[in-house]
Amino acid sequence: MEQPVQTETWKAQSLEELVRILHQIFAEDKVSVEEVQALMESYESNPEEWLQYAKFDQYRYTRNLVDNGNGKFNLMILCWGEGHGSSIHDHTDSHCFMKILQGNLKETLFEWPEKKGNGEMTKKSERVLRENQCAYINDSIGLHRVENISHTEPAVSLHLYSPPFDTCNTFDQRTGHKHKVMMTFYSQFGERTVCVSRECGVPH
Amino acid sequence: LPAGLSQWFPALEVLDVSGTGLTEMGTELLSLPCLHTLLAKNNRLGGSGSLPKGLGQAPLARSLRVLNLSGNRFSEVPPALLQLRGLRSLSLGGNRLHGIPPDIQELHSLEFLYLGGNFITAIPPELAKLPSLRYLVLCDNKIQSIPPQLAQLHSLRSLSLHNNLLTYLPREILNLVHLEELSLRGNPLVVRFVRDLTYNPPSLQELAGRTVKTRNVPYAPSDLPDSLVRYLSLASNCPNPKCGGVYFDSCVRQIKFVDFCGKYRLPLMHYLCSPECSSPYSSASQSSTSQSESDSEDEASVAAHRMQKVLLG
Repeated sequence: MEQPVQTETWKAQSLEELVRILHQIFAEDKVSVEEVQALMESYESNPEEWLQYAKFDQYRYTRNLVDNGNGKFNLMILCWGEGHGSSIHDHTDSHCFMKILQGNLKETLFEWPEKKGNGEMTKKSERVLRENQCAYINDSIGLHRVENISHTEPAVSLHLYSPPFDTCNTFDQRTGHKHKVMMTFYSQFGERTVCVSRECGVPH
Repeated sequence: LPAGLSQWFPALEVLDVSGTGLTEMGTELLSLPCLHTLLAKNNRLGGSGSLPKGLGQAPLARSLRVLNLSGNRFSEVPPALLQLRGLRSLSLGGNRLHGIPPDIQELHSLEFLYLGGNFITAIPPELAKLPSLRYLVLCDNKIQSIPPQLAQLHSLRSLSLHNNLLTYLPREILNLVHLEELSLRGNPLVVRFVRDLTYNPPSLQELAGRTVKTRNVPYAPSDLPDSLVRYLSLASNCPNPKCGGVYFDSCVRQIKFVDFCGKYRLPLMHYLCSPECSSPYSSASQSSTSQSESDSEDEASVAAHRMQKVLLG
């Protein structure tokens, strides 16, 4: 029987430590998805450590950059008011990790639409992610929609994307038609950034 | 609420009693003159004593700006609530509401209204009389249609309609020029062309109302009962530019598909005052499939670009 490849078992005691270990992991040539997912999941959410990044908007969810990973990854915090949700979107050939810091988020997975498709997109599965759980997705797995289905509780999530990307495609569930959008940050490193253009699509 | 609350904390501005199992909020509220934010979500409020009597005369009626009653057991909007004239933000998400009272228009300072996660089946046109409303959430309900009057909400920035029972939208929705967010997913929106001409002959009240409006018959509030004054203010203009007529409840309904730059096809319902009136951009009301679809493209060209960015599929 083959020996399984030894991956480190990290335990991030704080958000700062999580960021530090991520820098360490991503400095290597090869990064293991399982390792990053386990690391993200190991961090026990402590609002005191991330409250400065958690800026909510009344009308839609926000993306708040925490760390830009020396160009190797983007780490950001997303704030979802009650009923806020994203469109169905892809991840522009990048890895996407999503960890719940507060509340719950529903993730619905979709199949890629057919090339000539003109019908309703196919739902693959759905699940509700609980606090401290970490999900992973990339384009080969499929597309997803993320939403805060609570009408009483806001939700906060921590996202890691590698490599970083600032455009993606959003999909119309009824037809499968896609539309490229630019993504912007509501705040960076705890400071509110002013959005210049009205072209923001803001899925992730 | 504990007795003596207003004596110990007379300057109280923010009160959060969420998740405390409250079944009613009593007269202590009436003696808090500075209270601007009251958060009482996730409790057991909903019975008749949930809000104290005399709310309309209390300082709270003018001072309260934010009220969050989400996650309770309200099956109707408590009438006492409608006396909170200064209210800017109201949340009744995740309750058991079956409808919205027309008197919601009394809350004329309202900017934020969250009614998601209830059992609401219809929207009263009076909701459109809230001049400052910017954010309206009606997701996760049982709404079958949107009244065209909703387009009068000039300040509306965000409209959440996802997970309802909508098959079409009124074409007036395109008039919401400040709209930045519109969610429609999870509705059985009609995808294929549907030709549906239905016409309910107008009532005498409607015919009289139409005459008053189109002939500009002058009237003052003292001339008519309040209910008729309100009725007359709900007139909608017939979209046929050659008509200049108005309608109230009786109209021809016709579904057209508006193509937003080839990406989305939204079924928009056109209301016309009579079968003789044709829609602005088609030559006859009984147009063929392809004719209607290309007419729809012309019609949408101005609003299309804006709505394409707005729409969250």
